[in-house]
Formats: sequence, C-alpha cells, structure tokens
Amino acid sequence: MKERLLIANRGEIALRIMEACEELGLDYVAVYTKEDEESLHVRLAKKKVRISDYRDINDLLAVADENKCSLIHPGYGFLSEDYRFARRVEKRERPLIFVGPSWEAIRDLGNKIYLKKLASQLKIPVIPGTTEPIYNEIEAEFKAEELLELLKEEGFEYRSLFIKAAAGGGGMGIEEVKNLEEVRPVFRKIRAYAKRLFGDEGVLIEAKIPVIQHVEVQILGSKKGEYVHFGTRNCTIQSPFKQKRIEIAPGFDFNKNFSLNLQKIESEIIKYSLRLAKNFGYYSLGTWEWLVTPEGKYYLMEVNTRVQVENEISGKISFINNNSVNLIKEQIKVALGERLEYTQEEILFKGTSIELRLIAEDVSQGFQPLSGTITHFKWKPESWLTIRTHVPQDKPYNIPTQFDPNLALAIIYGENFELAKRRAQEFLENLIIEGVTSKGEKLKTNKEYLKEKLEIIYQFLPS
Amino acid sequence: MEINFNQLNEILKNLKAHPFKIYPVLTPHTGYLREFKVKEGDRVSGPSGKWLEKPGTPLFVLEREKNLKVIKAKIDGIVKNLKLDLLDKFVEAEEIVLEIQHPLSQEEVISEILLSTLYIIRAPETARYILSPSLLQRIEKQGLGKVKVKKGDELLIMSFMKREVPIYFEEEGSFIIYKLYFSPFEVVPAEKPLIGLCPEKDLPYLEKIIKRIKEEWS
Repeated sequence: MKERLLIANRGEIALRIMEACEELGLDYVAVYTKEDEESLHVRLAKKKVRISDYRDINDLLAVADENKCSLIHPGYGFLSEDYRFARRVEKRERPLIFVGPSWEAIRDLGNKIYLKKLASQLKIPVIPGTTEPIYNEIEAEFKAEELLELLKEEGFEYRSLFIKAAAGGGGMGIEEVKNLEEVRPVFRKIRAYAKRLFGDEGVLIEAKIPVIQHVEVQILGSKKGEYVHFGTRNCTIQSPFKQKRIEIAPGFDFNKNFSLNLQKIESEIIKYSLRLAKNFGYYSLGTWEWLVTPEGKYYLMEVNTRVQVENEISGKISFINNNSVNLIKEQIKVALGERLEYTQEEILFKGTSIELRLIAEDVSQGFQPLSGTITHFKWKPESWLTIRTHVPQDKPYNIPTQFDPNLALAIIYGENFELAKRRAQEFLENLIIEGVTSKGEKLKTNKEYLKEKLEIIYQFLPS
Repeated sequence: MEINFNQLNEILKNLKAHPFKIYPVLTPHTGYLREFKVKEGDRVSGPSGKWLEKPGTPLFVLEREKNLKVIKAKIDGIVKNLKLDLLDKFVEAEEIVLEIQHPLSQEEVISEILLSTLYIIRAPETARYILSPSLLQRIEKQGLGKVKVKKGDELLIMSFMKREVPIYFEEEGSFIIYKLYFSPFEVVPAEKPLIGLCPEKDLPYLEKIIKRIKEEWS
C-alpha cells in the first residue's frame, strides 16, 4: 500500500513537507483552518480538509483515519514538541507513524533538568548551575555563592546569575542577580511566583553567560542506530524575545580572526551532540543548541526534538554524491524505518547558506507583530535563492492574526561567506514587500533590520 | 451627526417586511454526522434560564474519535435548509448543516436601528477588548446613556498579539456612551462594533426614535 502522510501544520513548513512527499512519491493530506483559506499551502494542496484548530488532536486524528493516512508530520510549533500527542499517535488502536523522535525523547530531552543531568553524566558541558530544583533559601544562597566563585575561576569578568522557576519557560519567572545579597529576596519572589504559576515551588540557579554566539548542531539518527550530522548553524541574530531572525550555515567563520581554535570548538560540540544522541538512542532529525563564549567555552543549552525552521540552510551546504540534501525527506525516510544511504564521510560540506526571516513587525517598537494586507510581494529569481512562503504573489493577502506574522524565509547560497552575504544584501535591495495595515497605513516589515544585522553575523553578542 | 429620518423609515420598512435574521449552524469540528435531532420547520430554542444554564434544543450529533457530541441551538427560531445529505458523511469543521430563522424581538430591532444611527467605534483588529478601567468605573456608577466622553479620552484597551494597546476617542464634541456591543475579553473580529456613541445634542432625538419603535413594534 502506498504510504499517505497527514501534514499537521500550516504555512511554509506545510508546503515544504508537501514538496518532500511529492519527491518521495508519497500521498499526503493537508489540513487548514478558516483563517488560512488564502494561504498557498491550501491553494497548492491536492487534498485538504478544513479543521477547527491546528492544535486539535481529535480533528487531526479523525482526518488521518478518514483519509487512511499512515504517517503524521507535526512540522514545527503547534504539536511538534507535545510528547502526549506523539504518544497518542503511536499507541492508539489504529497507530500512525509519528515523523519525529520517540515520544520519550520529546518528553525527556525537552525537559531542561533531565537534559542537564544526562549531559553531566556524559561529561558534556552545560551552563553551570543547579541540576535539581531548590526549595530552600539557605541552600539557594550557598549554591549561588559556589556558582559566582566558579565563574570567577573560569575567568568571567562580568558575573551574574539567573534565578528561575524550574517548571517555567519562555522567559517567564526568571530574574537576574548580580551579587549574593540579592539572592534570598529574589529566590523568595521567584519561588512564590513559580508556585502560583506552575504549581511547583522548585527554583533553579544558573550562571548568566554574558556574551555569546548561538551555534547549533544538526543531527540525524535512524531507527537502526545509525547517526550522522549535517554540520552547524549560527543563530546569534535574535530578537530580544529570543526569536531567531538570521541563521547561517556553517556555524563558524573559520577565517575570522578570533584568538580561538574554532575548528576544535566545532568538532567538540558535534562530538558531544552525537554522544548524547547515541546514548539516548535518539532517532529522527534533532538540533543540539549550544552557547559559545569569546573565552572559547561552550555549553549545551537545549535539544530541539523536531525539524527547525532553519533546517534548509544545512541541507544547502551538505552534499552527497554532488547533490544538496533535503532534510525533511531524510526525516520522513528515517520515520519509515529506512537505513541511512550514506556515511558521515560521504557528506561533504561546501559553501555558505544564509536564511533571512521576513516578518511583518515594527522593530523600533520592541518587535511588535503587525497585521494587515500584503499588496506587493516580488523578488528577483536567482539560481542561488530559494524563497519559502505561504503568501500568494498574485493577489493581496491578509495576514491572519491568530498566528506569527512570519511572511517568508529567504535562503541564499554562496560558495563562500562573503559571496553569500553580498547576495543576501542584493536580495534585500531588490525585494519588494509592501502592504497596508488595517488603518490604511504603510505596513512595516523587518527588511531594514535584516540588512543592518547581516553586517554582524558571526560576531559575539551580549546575550 | 444628523439623524436621517428617511433612512430610518427605510430601515424600519425593511425590518417589517423581513422581521427575522438567518443564523447558519456550523460544525464545530470534523467528524461523522450521525443523527439529525430536528426536522425542517421545527421550532427550536436557544439556551435559557437566569444564567443561560438550560441548554438549547439538540440539533444534530457529530461523532469523532468515538465520542458523540450533540450540537445544540444557540438562538430561538425555525429550522430551515437542513442539509439531510450530510447524514453519515464525514464533514469538515465549519460546514453549514442548517439555518435558524430567528424572529427579531423589539430589543433586537432597536439594536439594529442603533447600529445605523449611533456613532460606532469598530474593532480595528481581531482581538480581545476591555473598557478602560476609568470608563468602566464611570459606566458602573452612572449607567449607559449618561457617561460623556470627549476627544483624547481613553475608551478601550485592545489585547492583540500578546500586547495591550489603548484606543482613544478621536471625534470633536461631547458624546454619550449609549451602547456596548462586546463582552470583556471576548475575541471581537475586526470591523465588528464595540461601542455606540451619541452626540450629546442628539440624545433627545434618539430617545424619540426608540419610543417610536417601542410603539410600532410590539
């Protein structure tokens, strides 16, 4: 029987999954909600079903059963990191293949305390801090003192700590302390906050790494225990809310004149990422996110157990038999239980690829997301350019207010960094993206911000 | 603002000719439509009781992931355009299954008329709205039809894409807050009415119109 895949997502990632299915010769079914009727992922899908919400598990499974789907791809966001969803997909009466890692991997590696403990056991560097929740303020003060001492020994000039709710996330319930006297009152405040918000009083203390580059390792594991990596990506350019805006592969510019051995750092973070993946028995695509400091230290921050928005730039610089790689296709093949058709040695890295995230937002107003209508969206086609977008170019498009105001991803390739950067600038110069807000004013985008930030790629920035 | 009596007569004439509104009933989610609980022409009622604790008339049954869900009427009226061919079919979310022809009450007619007579503040975005705390306090104290606002007063707070944005009154002159069209924190689609205001000087005319409707529409 021909495999059929349910695409449980929207927008550009739904389009990329569709394309991967078509190239693999798989059938697919897309879903959409009323707000997305104008989206290209709906217009271009051969088979589509309207559902009430992309997070409605019952709707997704009902559509999958009705259409006899055998796999389900969660994309990113929505249900992609919900281990209960992954578990239900695979454990129900009519099981489906979840295109992603095991539900246990989503649960455990998505848990920051678990990840920190496992990494420490495997001698993988993590951000110095507590690996168990603290409930007592005397203990908190003691731990804080230890950490500040350690930071001094490690040579950090600016030393401060984060006190945060163990059950928290997304920047909530987190505060910075610079000296020991502040620890107890802040601890009490965060503990009370954690109890009220998350129902658990546990608090973590972690060193603040003041200046960083954000570098991530792209891993692929098969269900047969084979592992490869597709190099690194640098995602240091982020909004103040830690949302990525520009990504570049590879993760380091080896020509840059830092007094650091960047090759060594890259090979070590790859080695450690693979060590953790193998030890856990991880399969599917996964991203290991690291913080790298100007002192040459590196710390594992988190593991993303799903396909990343920026996966394609890794595919663009990875070549097998002279062909670039489509990581979503690889992810689906692995989910079907196939063996990897190549070894690490057969993956050759060539060139540089940059991704620009085009977003309707007012950068000057704290990256305020905007809604409105896109009236003109045009770019000059180039062999080195790939645009991923759900925004139609042939008619005005109303940005739905229920989702992120992401408009498009521009993926640029160059044989080296300088060329890729120049092409990215050229693309932005020629790009026409215009619209109006609901009040009839000109719709702002982050185009100028992207131009400006292209100049500081690969630099260490304040965290 | 100038009240246009000709236009008003026209609206009233139309409402008298078609004294009802059609409400489509949609599927809330996907599933199999297993049973119709009503027939064409049946009279159904919406939720009732002091706190609307008594549910409306059952309309049809949707089955999804082995769970049955009875979809009930949210408004009074007569069942029309029942899509009988959907029986035992798999339906998408938000598919029209039937329509309820709802007879307009006196209060609803007044509401319709006010919508075309008052100065209406409409939702600039699909978002959640609340009255500005000071305005809410004044309305609670004085009641609708009494509170005056002028240019620059904060009317509403819009909660949009996780941000709070104040909305100010922008018209010259003194206006009275006459009607509210939303509940606090409810998602209001863009362009839907939020507040109806009446220029202070037109208030006597407005009261006259309402009196007239009450007499003509029993």
